[in-house]
Amino acid sequence: MSIIEVRELSKQFKEVLAVDNVTFDVKKGEIFGLLGPNGAGKSTTIRMLTTLSRPTSGTAIVADHDILKEPSKVREKIGLVSEKTILYDRLTAFENLMFFAELNGMDKKNAKKRCMELLEMVDMLKWKDTMVGKFSTGMRQRINVIRALLHDPKIIFLDEPTLGLDPQTTRTIRELIKQINEEGRTVILTTHIMTEADILSDRIAIIDHGKIVALDTPKGLKRMLKQSDDEILDIEIPNMTSNLVTELEAFDCVQKVLSRSSEEIRIIMNCDNPVAFITDFLSKHSLNIRAIKTVEPTLEDVFIKLTGHEMRDQAVKKARFARRMMHQ
Amino acid sequence: MKYALQIAFKDLKYFFRSRIAIFAFLIMPIFMMLMTGYIFPKMQSGANVKVAVYSLDSGFRKMMENKKTENFIFVDSEEELKQFLLDEKADVAMVIPEGFLSAMLKKQEIKVRLIPSPSNPQMAMAAAQGITASIGGSIGNMNDKFTLEMENPGGGEFNYYSFMAPGIMAMVAIMSVVNGLAAAITTEKERGTLDGILTTPIPRYSIVLGKTLAQGIRGILQAIIILLIAVFLFGATVQGSILLALFVLVLGIMSFIGVGIIITAGAPDQETSQMILTTLMFPMMFLSGVFFPVNQMPSFMQSISKFFPLTYAAEALRKVMVLGGTFQNISGDVIILLIFSVITFSLAVPLFGKLTTT
Repeated sequence: MSIIEVRELSKQFKEVLAVDNVTFDVKKGEIFGLLGPNGAGKSTTIRMLTTLSRPTSGTAIVADHDILKEPSKVREKIGLVSEKTILYDRLTAFENLMFFAELNGMDKKNAKKRCMELLEMVDMLKWKDTMVGKFSTGMRQRINVIRALLHDPKIIFLDEPTLGLDPQTTRTIRELIKQINEEGRTVILTTHIMTEADILSDRIAIIDHGKIVALDTPKGLKRMLKQSDDEILDIEIPNMTSNLVTELEAFDCVQKVLSRSSEEIRIIMNCDNPVAFITDFLSKHSLNIRAIKTVEPTLEDVFIKLTGHEMRDQAVKKARFARRMMHQ
Repeated sequence: MKYALQIAFKDLKYFFRSRIAIFAFLIMPIFMMLMTGYIFPKMQSGANVKVAVYSLDSGFRKMMENKKTENFIFVDSEEELKQFLLDEKADVAMVIPEGFLSAMLKKQEIKVRLIPSPSNPQMAMAAAQGITASIGGSIGNMNDKFTLEMENPGGGEFNYYSFMAPGIMAMVAIMSVVNGLAAAITTEKERGTLDGILTTPIPRYSIVLGKTLAQGIRGILQAIIILLIAVFLFGATVQGSILLALFVLVLGIMSFIGVGIIITAGAPDQETSQMILTTLMFPMMFLSGVFFPVNQMPSFMQSISKFFPLTYAAEALRKVMVLGGTFQNISGDVIILLIFSVITFSLAVPLFGKLTTT
């Protein structure tokens, strides 16, 4: 059963088509990951689904309500944790929560009860009367997440919820996201971190240049590589030459070569007997092999396979620029 | 030093990348120079000053009426005198004491009271010379025995500041509110907290109203502080009802706040919104008759001044505070301020929703 139905959603900013005719469904109760580099259109999609931004064309049904026709009904059903912290520095944690609880139509008594409950849940009860401005980033993010839960929404949107957090807090927040999901809430999560999407999501949509290039479970996505007989090898070559990458890529059976450092490459290929192939090639070029290992495909490899480029922001900008040139 | 240059270069580059910022950057100095260049009055003469005269000396009145001096209007009581000032039928009021003529003829010293119009105290000073010349022309040389005494409409010694205080109050209240509003909306936009409010199911207009209310209260508090300083430190007086004065202030704030909302909801960041607002408020400050009387300006400047709500707020507030005007006296200004408020608000509320959901 779908709780969100996105239909041919597009958003055009001046010269950039940020979201390009996107259609997908989110099932009730799942954690749905939107994975892609910065600028791929994840946040724009979230902003449209949370009624903060109007689509150029297309629409979506969120919790049985059309985002264009009944935005306030949609707002009643959703909670948003955006990339920017939605808290006021000069209000205390409790005051912040009460403010948003009451804007969500809760009466004072219920609001207070709910705030206390949530503060307790994230272990922040003793900090409730401290101004949010004095909190560490991690504490602030905990309050920021429970702020979206005040009115007990069916759907929670989290836009890069672990951005800029230290590893420990990142883990706490990820635990919290799982807990939110276990309470029966549907979670829509955007991230540019592959492992985060992998760990948390039931299903992942990979988004690039405003288009969804793949949508499946993390396992399913990785299987896409395996089924196509692609082998991934990491090879350490101490005396690596600079043109090695291009030379290797010239082979038909080699899909992609990435230099991971000055002494290490990752190669994605479907050649017959890949290890023999690569050792032959390297010894012919009198290059040494310090280590060689086959790698289980990660979402990153899937991304590269699907889009033909690494998931780096720079790559996106270049591509975007090229697209703009094409349009002109 | 090298780094200082690099920082400066970055700052300038950053600034000039914003099209709106460049626009404001160019427009502001041009605007301001034009404004300040044109508001100063042309050379004054007392020639066409309208003087309301209450003469206790009936002989003087008869004499002047026979001469048909056009700029003297005779009235029958001090109340009527005040009414003339309130209705702007006269620029200055004058009270001729009993026995004025005979004192003049005997060449005795005698004082004439002069009450300036609240919207234009400068005019009264200019008028003083004109009046002397005019009366002198009618009854011959007066050998300097005839002295004019300026006084406040509410009585007491003439105090220039009490004429200025109402206008300044209105100005500070409006400016602080609009600036505060700009900061309140753009900061929330930049920090992202506005998204939090926008994703709650409350109607958009309640955001606008809430912001307005908070800033309005701030503005009134500030206006009260200004009023207290004006009264206790500079000896300004409040002739009319203080509540009426506050009402006018609130109305003045309301009439301009819609403009502030439209600008800030549309501006990309705080710096830009501040700049646009300054560009708008600086001319308003000088054109609204707060510092320089509107009717001394060239006529096209006078026309521009009609588009600033501050002009009416300052005018009404002066009538209430300086002349003790009642609601009837300021009803015209109040209606215009209401129209301003209704129009700007009815534009601001839907625009706020539009501009914040891009």
